[in-house]
Amino acid sequence: MNTHTVKRYEDELNLLKEKMLSMAGLVEKAVRRSMKSLLRQDIKRAQKVIDRDDAINALEVEIDEMTRSMLALRQPAAGDLRFIIATIKIVSDLERSGDLAESIAEFMLQTEEHPLTHTSTLESMSELVISQIHDALNSFAKSDLEAALRCIEGDKKINNLYKTIQRETLTYMMEDPRQISAGMIISNVAKNLERIGDHGVNIAEMAIYMVKGRDVRHINHKAARSMIDPEQD
Amino acid sequence: MTIENQNKLTIRDLKLWYGDFQALNGINLDIPSGKVTSFIGPSGCGKSTFLRCLNRMNDRINGCRLEGSILLEGSDIYDPQVDVVQLRTHIGMVFQKPNPFPKSIYENIAYAPRIHGMVNDGPEMDELVETALKKASIWDEVKDKLQQPGTALSGGQQQRLCIARTIAVQPDVILMDEPCSALDPIATAKIEELMDELKQDYTIVIVTHNMQQAARASDYTAYFYLGDLIEHGETSEIFTAPREQRTEDYITGRFG
Repeated sequence: MNTHTVKRYEDELNLLKEKMLSMAGLVEKAVRRSMKSLLRQDIKRAQKVIDRDDAINALEVEIDEMTRSMLALRQPAAGDLRFIIATIKIVSDLERSGDLAESIAEFMLQTEEHPLTHTSTLESMSELVISQIHDALNSFAKSDLEAALRCIEGDKKINNLYKTIQRETLTYMMEDPRQISAGMIISNVAKNLERIGDHGVNIAEMAIYMVKGRDVRHINHKAARSMIDPEQD
Repeated sequence: MTIENQNKLTIRDLKLWYGDFQALNGINLDIPSGKVTSFIGPSGCGKSTFLRCLNRMNDRINGCRLEGSILLEGSDIYDPQVDVVQLRTHIGMVFQKPNPFPKSIYENIAYAPRIHGMVNDGPEMDELVETALKKASIWDEVKDKLQQPGTALSGGQQQRLCIARTIAVQPDVILMDEPCSALDPIATAKIEELMDELKQDYTIVIVTHNMQQAARASDYTAYFYLGDLIEHGETSEIFTAPREQRTEDYITGRFG
């Protein structure tokens, strides 16, 4: 793509993208770290996630300020407009995901009193969600449509695992009431992961909008794929 | 209802030369009835030349040669049988700089209907003048001073007077060549609002350098570059997701 005639506008767009990428990096790290801290009983790591959420929140505010002023002052069009719109939407998905990771880290701190058992399904779910969020962020960062579609399609698996965990946890809790506190933690963490997965889907959908100008929200993934198939390219 | 059925103007393979220089390289475009179509593109891209073809304003330019066809509701406007003066009552033009006649406001409107023998002077003409001024949203501002010279009005009012003058002969199509470039934002907004009202009754084609104006005021946008029509489509599509990289570069300000 050619560069802008107005260099300051070009610089602003580049800076906005940079800020989005660093925010995305922080969020991905927070999700990864929070789950690692939980599964490896690592309090230090959990504390780091909690401490660093401020940085994510601060970036959200900075990015919002930039998009507001660019809309008002630059009247962006076409690809620039789609990038800014996608940014406005994605930034709140990122911020929410960051909060959910922080909340997972807070649950970790509770596991000192209530050590977790039966975490293997949660571990599988965690891996899926981490790769889900990775695909979502890549779809935005690198305009990678395949990653976006993979992310949208992957959500079903995550939802299925979530249901499995709820079922399993309920069984353990009924078998042994001493497991209830730990079971509640697992259930809540799984809920957080499931939501992070949903935010990933939102991000991937907005990345597709940004690249192709097509809105693929609220349709099934097959329809989404056919909407952005390269036949028009 | 398909777009084909409602096209006011149909342009096929239109080529135009100024002497040896080819200014338009085979333009194909349908201009839908009752809509505002805007032409955008950098200076020298051929958009004004193309607009001027639509009511044969290039006829009198020496060395100007044209091939292809322009159909107004199916009839070729370049047919030798066509009376150009008559044609321009069907396809009116509003120019960049307001150019009222050096006559009274009333006469500015009444002049063309009178010479075309549309109505007689008197109550009938009074009514025609009032209707045209009302349609151009300037009646309230001038109704008490119809005998004052048109040139005494402000720039924005003069431009609306020129639009009223165009409307007075009941055209099908109104062509506008940069109609707001000499006007302030309020006067510009009034003209844009007016276009929105007028498209109920007329087909409007506007050439503009102001892309925000094309985005705000038109239903369809055509992007020209170096004598080619690069892309044409719904304005909302062109400004959010154009198909052509060249269109994208131009409307995002990455051009050149």
